Amino acid sequence: MDYFGQLLANGLVLGAIYALTAVAFTLVYGVVRLVNFAFGELFMLGAFLTTSLMLPEVRLFGTVVPMPGFPLPIAALGAIVITGVIGVVVDRIAYRPLRNAPRLAPLITSIAVSVVLQSLAQTAWGAEELRFPQFYLATLPPVVLFDSIYLSVMDLVVMATAIVAMLGLSLFIARSSLGRAMRASAEDQTAAMLVGIPVNRVVAAAFAIGSGFAALAGLLYAQTYGFAHSSMGFLPGLKALTAAVLGGIGSIPGAALGGLILGLVEALGAGYLPNGTAWKDAISFVLLVGLLYLRPQGLLGRPELNSAGRGSLLGGASEAGAFWLRAVFARVDALLARFAAAGAPAALGLLAIAIVVGTLVPSDYWLRILTMVVIYGMLASGLNVIVGFAGLLDLGFVAFWAVGSYLTSILFVLVLKESYGVAPQEVWWLLYLNLPLGGLLAAGLAVLLGTPTLRLRGDYLAIMTLGFGEIVRVVAINWMDLTRGPMGIRGIPAPNLFGISLGSPRAQFFFALALAAVVVFAVARLVRSYVGRAWVAIREDEEAAEAMGVPTARYKLYAYAASGFVGGFVGVFYAHSQQYISPLNFSLFENILLLMLVVLGGLGTFIGPFVGALIWIVFLQLALDLPFVQAYPETRFALLGVVLIVLMVFRPQGLAASARVGLTMPGARAKEAA
Amino acid sequence: MTELKGGALLEARQVVVRFGGLEAVGGLDMAVARGAIHGLIGPNGAGKTTVLNVLTGFIRPTAGRLVFDGEEIGGLNVNGFARRGLARTFQNIRLFGAMTVLESVLVGAHQRFSASAPALIFGGRAARTAERAMIARAHELLDFVGLRHDIADRVATTLSYGHQRRVEIARALMSSPKLLLLDEPLAGMNAVEKQEIAELVRQVRAQGIAVLLIEHDMQIVRSLCDHLTVLEYGKLLADGAPERVLSDPAVQAAYLGRAR
Repeated sequence: MDYFGQLLANGLVLGAIYALTAVAFTLVYGVVRLVNFAFGELFMLGAFLTTSLMLPEVRLFGTVVPMPGFPLPIAALGAIVITGVIGVVVDRIAYRPLRNAPRLAPLITSIAVSVVLQSLAQTAWGAEELRFPQFYLATLPPVVLFDSIYLSVMDLVVMATAIVAMLGLSLFIARSSLGRAMRASAEDQTAAMLVGIPVNRVVAAAFAIGSGFAALAGLLYAQTYGFAHSSMGFLPGLKALTAAVLGGIGSIPGAALGGLILGLVEALGAGYLPNGTAWKDAISFVLLVGLLYLRPQGLLGRPELNSAGRGSLLGGASEAGAFWLRAVFARVDALLARFAAAGAPAALGLLAIAIVVGTLVPSDYWLRILTMVVIYGMLASGLNVIVGFAGLLDLGFVAFWAVGSYLTSILFVLVLKESYGVAPQEVWWLLYLNLPLGGLLAAGLAVLLGTPTLRLRGDYLAIMTLGFGEIVRVVAINWMDLTRGPMGIRGIPAPNLFGISLGSPRAQFFFALALAAVVVFAVARLVRSYVGRAWVAIREDEEAAEAMGVPTARYKLYAYAASGFVGGFVGVFYAHSQQYISPLNFSLFENILLLMLVVLGGLGTFIGPFVGALIWIVFLQLALDLPFVQAYPETRFALLGVVLIVLMVFRPQGLAASARVGLTMPGARAKEAA
Repeated sequence: MTELKGGALLEARQVVVRFGGLEAVGGLDMAVARGAIHGLIGPNGAGKTTVLNVLTGFIRPTAGRLVFDGEEIGGLNVNGFARRGLARTFQNIRLFGAMTVLESVLVGAHQRFSASAPALIFGGRAARTAERAMIARAHELLDFVGLRHDIADRVATTLSYGHQRRVEIARALMSSPKLLLLDEPLAGMNAVEKQEIAELVRQVRAQGIAVLLIEHDMQIVRSLCDHLTVLEYGKLLADGAPERVLSDPAVQAAYLGRAR
């Protein structure tokens, strides 16, 4: 009972923090139907700003800056106001131009905003934790309930603050005129605008309040756990989103309820399940996935929220865009269009150029980088099948990549070498078996994970796939016997052909290139057929596709399978190329990065994923020569995020948009030209 | 509907559709005969599009049965309706963005492709033959609906409104349907275009495909349709030959408003 009571108390504190953040998600979703992934980062900013304002001095951008050293309440207020302003600015710059864009656009933008804010925070405050200063209330002796449950005064403050803030918000929304305007805009934006409600201002208010709530949650979290860190908002942000979905996104009582349930489940799960602390993140995500499957509208939500508008990022007029961008791209576009029209010969030409480059590049260093370009290009191509062609945002793609990598590593290292003493050179051929095997296994997993998502659309689909990806990662970390957990697997043999090692950087580059040719060829053959037409039809208008006789559920699964196959297939090679893998290689961030590369290069094109990978990875290296980047390497990620935000607003089709892919079989059209 | 027994291609029996408390369709009986051009008319808000959505599987009726070509189809998915031979167009044109005219039309033939993934990847001969045949058929249909070949590679959504309508009809015909359902195919067209589309509908029927269409222009309806079903407030108001139905005082009252 005492143990239970203590867990209950911990759960309530955690639940209060989740609930506050969930309110942020739910408020903004309610008004603009946007899942703003960046709230996790606003949560982090709230923590950093409060901590900084409380300290006498802080190291910012490497220099010591004097700070006011406010007491907690004043610092908190300051942090909440500043974060609120940041939230409004983000909305104005990144989201408002996308109000009428397809749902994928603001979703991707919010992910990019997340990346920007996190990188900038790391640049400003550094990669280390910032310790949260002691506040005098925290030095008081804990309150003891029932002789055995210890609650610090600050825990009580956290709970009381959460309750007051949420009651205050409910009152505000119920009674004030701005609250009424918010409810009206949530019902129907156009109608609200027609009766004279300044919808943009209402949305800005929702962002201000939501960001303030996220900041409040963040600073309470930092207070409770004693630190602020640039990546601290990531998991609590996801948990809060889970809480919001659990309660029914769009509903404020739902957010409170969801936060509370999630906090309690997590605390009790961590306390009672065997090895519970290690699995507690998985608990939340299993809950999320199960809930989305059984009751996507959440406990208190409305069913119609699981809907997506028609159209895709690629369906709009491709001539759109800012004039200066159009000027810049006009020439590139013409070139790419000609390249795409040429089809197979152009692709072979590109392959030839890659071979020449691979032969001539003298440095091993650059060969390794180019190999990474090809690997990321292939992975992005796999993701492109599901996101670019079928139009389904998949944030769990890394799981497929991980499956391929782990399959081959476990077989080669843990089973054959360590259990049976078989040297990798003796079974070099196994790699060539593992490539398709890894692909098939990942495709199987993709179908398994894809099936429950079939009923979901848009935002909920993204959230569910994200949940799956995280579950797979948590399993990889904790299933020590199978995966060696966070230590990872070492000593994976380099690729080998007939006993000849292909471990040299040059050999690896050509190996990767050969695989890339296979991947692109296979994907292109599928896309340029009735299968690809069905995918694109689903992307553009699912109902119309269904009315044309396309069994959309089945074709979505095919897209998952094809995408998963590529992920697993490339994953096998990746493990042998790196010779070491650990769960860190397959984080959600990698998934986000791949997504950004596809969007950067051009969704729904064959060349786009490689263009994105080439630009990004080469830039990543070249920028290291700049002293500024040497001091702040994270700024490169911030730049990628900014570029993506600009692209979403002005050119959502990506850089290589004009390399449009034909959807008919190339040979089949040769004759009708006459 | 006893007069249509045996000849009926599609029959709806006692179809009820309720949205919450609102009864949009109340116990509708109707039948579309083989080879007919069947008009579905009624004042605004009568439930015409709702009925068309029921007949194509988009809305699952609250109660009632649907029999198509002798088979109960009420429980099928939308794609099941399409696969049985019901093809449709939409009131607000719904062509696929980012697809060319040819590609859009080919989507209509989806059910007629069957090549497996390996056959597609390794370039099976049968897969290529099927693709070639369907592309040829798509060009025939573009001809048939009165579109020139040189628009085949244009992105469909960039065409003029009238052309988009024709592409949508070609896409629907591509599935070789038994029944073509057109939701206001003449909306927004001028007199000449209306006559052209009406002629196109006759040609479709001449190929043995029955047509069900929603239309407001009574002159066209009178000259084009063999049979009319009139709805008002989701209920059957009149049903039968155009001349008889259109001279029915109840129908005239529904359109012109009742005398006070």
